[in-house]
Amino acid sequence: MSSENQDFNKSKAFLIDMTKCTGCRGCQVACKQWNQLGAEKTEFFTGEGYQNPPLMSEYTFTRIKFRDYEKNGQNEFAFYKEMCMHCNEPACASVCPVGAFKKTKEGPVTYDADRCIGCRFCMVACPFGVPKYEWSKALPLVRKCTGCYSRVKEGLKPACATTCVSAITYGNREDMIKEANKRIAARPEKYLKKLYGSEEAGGTSVIYLTALPFDELGFKPVTKRPLPSYTWQALRLVPGIFLTVGSSLSLLSWFNHRKERIAKEEEQRKSGATPKEES
Amino acid sequence: MTAAKIIANEIKGYHRFVQFLIVLVALGALASLARFVFGLGVTTNLNDTFPWGLWISFDVVTAVPLAAGAFTLGAIVHCFHIKKLEPLVRPAIVTGFLGYSLVCVGLLLDLGQPQRGWHTLVYWNPHSPMFEVSMCVMAYTTVLFLEFLSPVCEKFGYHVPMRLLRTLEMPLVVAAASISTLHQSSLGTFFLIAVDKLHSLWYNPLLPLLFWLSAMCAGISIIIVEATMSHKYMGQPDEGELLETLAKILPWVITVYLTVKFFSLFALTQGPLFNRPGLLVLFVVEVVGGMIIPLFMLMSRKVREDGRLRATAAWMVIAGIILNRFNVSMFGMEAPGTFYYPSFIESLVTIGIIAAHILFFVLIAKYFPIFEHHPETVDYSIPDHFHKTEKGHAHGAAKA
Repeated sequence: MSSENQDFNKSKAFLIDMTKCTGCRGCQVACKQWNQLGAEKTEFFTGEGYQNPPLMSEYTFTRIKFRDYEKNGQNEFAFYKEMCMHCNEPACASVCPVGAFKKTKEGPVTYDADRCIGCRFCMVACPFGVPKYEWSKALPLVRKCTGCYSRVKEGLKPACATTCVSAITYGNREDMIKEANKRIAARPEKYLKKLYGSEEAGGTSVIYLTALPFDELGFKPVTKRPLPSYTWQALRLVPGIFLTVGSSLSLLSWFNHRKERIAKEEEQRKSGATPKEES
Repeated sequence: MTAAKIIANEIKGYHRFVQFLIVLVALGALASLARFVFGLGVTTNLNDTFPWGLWISFDVVTAVPLAAGAFTLGAIVHCFHIKKLEPLVRPAIVTGFLGYSLVCVGLLLDLGQPQRGWHTLVYWNPHSPMFEVSMCVMAYTTVLFLEFLSPVCEKFGYHVPMRLLRTLEMPLVVAAASISTLHQSSLGTFFLIAVDKLHSLWYNPLLPLLFWLSAMCAGISIIIVEATMSHKYMGQPDEGELLETLAKILPWVITVYLTVKFFSLFALTQGPLFNRPGLLVLFVVEVVGGMIIPLFMLMSRKVREDGRLRATAAWMVIAGIILNRFNVSMFGMEAPGTFYYPSFIESLVTIGIIAAHILFFVLIAKYFPIFEHHPETVDYSIPDHFHKTEKGHAHGAAKA
């Protein structure tokens, strides 16, 4: 993991204000174009609401989730942009046996397809259910939002943030949180007083502002503690346990075998001065 | 006669059941071929919601503790020096070696990029439990292979490697126990990352310790079952008396396991325990049927002395541990309202792997001296490098 001693406030982050999202899905299209992702055959009304495609997949790194709700007797829509959260301390990077995932200092969590062995532990570990698999291929790889690292590295904004008219702001994480709090302070009656992503999973590079309660929008409740710490509290004991078990068993067997050897010597001494040949 | 004909004739002489096993293994091999040709998506029921299915739950997470007999018994016999159990060690090592080799096969089948399996040796990530387990499994398979070489060398009468293996025996036993401790527990660490996914009936910070303790229960029970069955079906000597000793050790390990389990359940678990009736039933079956009932059975002398009842109790422990591993890696991970079941090809591969295990065990027992090993002819003390004992006190194996 490369995330230690990194100042995440200086890394780049998305601020997604869902009250400003009109559901145009321009971000979805821009993402497909930049990452050259194939189209998916979709049908209307197969999933819940009007969203399409029904889920993120190997072809869809980001999508707008539609949520209908009733407000003052009127049917209304709420939107939620689903994408990789680019955690400050990513679970995927921590569990990948070959270190294919990396938290870059710019912010995005990148994936090195040349290293991946296809164990899919990242998919089990990710609390947001982001990494998707190329189930259509004989030798599949993991696919997920790259945070447009190739663009960000060169000083550009990610494709979705460039396309979006109003809802996505991109910049230093610190500034994004400041901006979000400013918006909440300016319109307290409009916003929920909570930023999703400021503390979730130890903090992420995607921060959401909404008007509807997060669980109603389909946000997963996620622990505040960085996920890698859960496994590390056990794994850090590994060298110690290895040495303790190894040395105590060695000592134990040495003592037990020594006891036997002494008993044998004793027996030989009793049975005569000269050692007898063993039969 | 050509070699093919000799082999065909040899197979014709086998028992019906063994021939049936060969068919199952062949079907499993065909199914795994299909998996490589058509890909994981087509041949399995895995998807983005269930990235890990039967192959991880059974072929890896369950098969590893079931192969724990070798390290458990190795440590009991050689480190705690309960020498009379020695005749059980070799069959246990063969079972362990087969078990681990097949775990490797299962892992390779499940990997999306099996040709890159060696990457774990080059790109290290010590923060990953998967890295740790794959390193340990590779190391331990090697250790078991070396331990398994003893009967092979004996069969062909290779004396020099025999002597070398003899010198290495104790280091290998210690290495086996320490490596196993690490990866048996790390299989539990896998699921520590699934913070909001694994149900709190199983999720707790002591999961690695629980996995290690239950692996020892599984190891001892497997030895009891295996010795009972090879006595019954393969005409091997009755080791009843030795199994009684093991059956006396087993309740102690189960008690420690249950104590830790209930402590972690009531003191360390954070989420709600009783919100999913289906999972609660699975948990109760696992703990009561798979641990508490056999514990009470094994505490009675009558059960320990009766071969049939003893094997039944051991079977119950094994079933409990299998259910436990499925609960942790499959049932407990499923979100409410979702369901995964293995596809036909997935099941066929797993059946093939189980059949391969039994088949290879029978064949190895047929051709190699794993049962005809008499401890009284071999000196098991540590080789005396400092010549503290008198000269002329030769080591048993050196003379073998």
